[in-house]
Amino acid sequence: MITTTPIMQMLQGYLKVTSDRQQIITSNIANVDTPGYHTKDLDFQTAMQQAMGEGSRLQLQPASTTVDNLPERPDGNNVNVDRESMLLGQTQLQYQMGVQLIKSEFHRLLSAIKEGS
Amino acid sequence: MGVFDMLAISASALSAERQRAEVTSANLANAETTRTEAGGPYVRKEVVFGSSSSSPFRTVLNQTGRFAHAPAGTVELKQVINDTTPPVKRYEPGNPDADEGGFVEYPSINPVSEMVDLMSAVRAYQLNASAVTAAKQMIQQSIDILKTT
Repeated sequence: MITTTPIMQMLQGYLKVTSDRQQIITSNIANVDTPGYHTKDLDFQTAMQQAMGEGSRLQLQPASTTVDNLPERPDGNNVNVDRESMLLGQTQLQYQMGVQLIKSEFHRLLSAIKEGS
Repeated sequence: MGVFDMLAISASALSAERQRAEVTSANLANAETTRTEAGGPYVRKEVVFGSSSSSPFRTVLNQTGRFAHAPAGTVELKQVINDTTPPVKRYEPGNPDADEGGFVEYPSINPVSEMVDLMSAVRAYQLNASAVTAAKQMIQQSIDILKTT
């Protein structure tokens, strides 16, 4: 992966982790009525290390974990709709922050090319 | 894994919840049906959802990008089962479907519980529709990186 600055590389990893987490939250919401389904989540630190450190190594499984401390319904499903919709909004804003930072990084690069004019 | 996989997951849930609403509507519509092709009264139907999981092999196959597979975590309608509750008998000797004793078999459908099921399906549909909106906004933001300011 060729990136211009170390910050850019880090932001790339950050965007990957947030979009992976958003996908896991989306799949939790999708399985809100699936009997026996347990809420999944992403451990940010592990996922970020995977995205940053071993970028070249083949990833077999995303670093997703099962959340077991939520109250379970009689059908074995423990998806909490409030938690998931809160996380959906939160992760979306985190992603937006990553995008804005990348944009400002490109803006700095452009300003350097234009010699600050 | 990609941003577009989110849309596929939500779409699978939207489709599953819509089918659930359809089955519930059919139950409500046939609450008084005493005659079916199979004979006897209408039998109440219920849906069973299942979640698709991903094997390491499937994940690597997906990474090659050559095979379009559903991403992990999608929900699908596994089967539609028949309710085994026996039919309710009502004494209506004038009804053409009555047996020798004058009883007519009606499906054991409780409209209140069907309405609750229908509302639950609609709410789940709404929730997934808002997840679609979130995914679309994220894709739009990624496109906005390309825009020069």
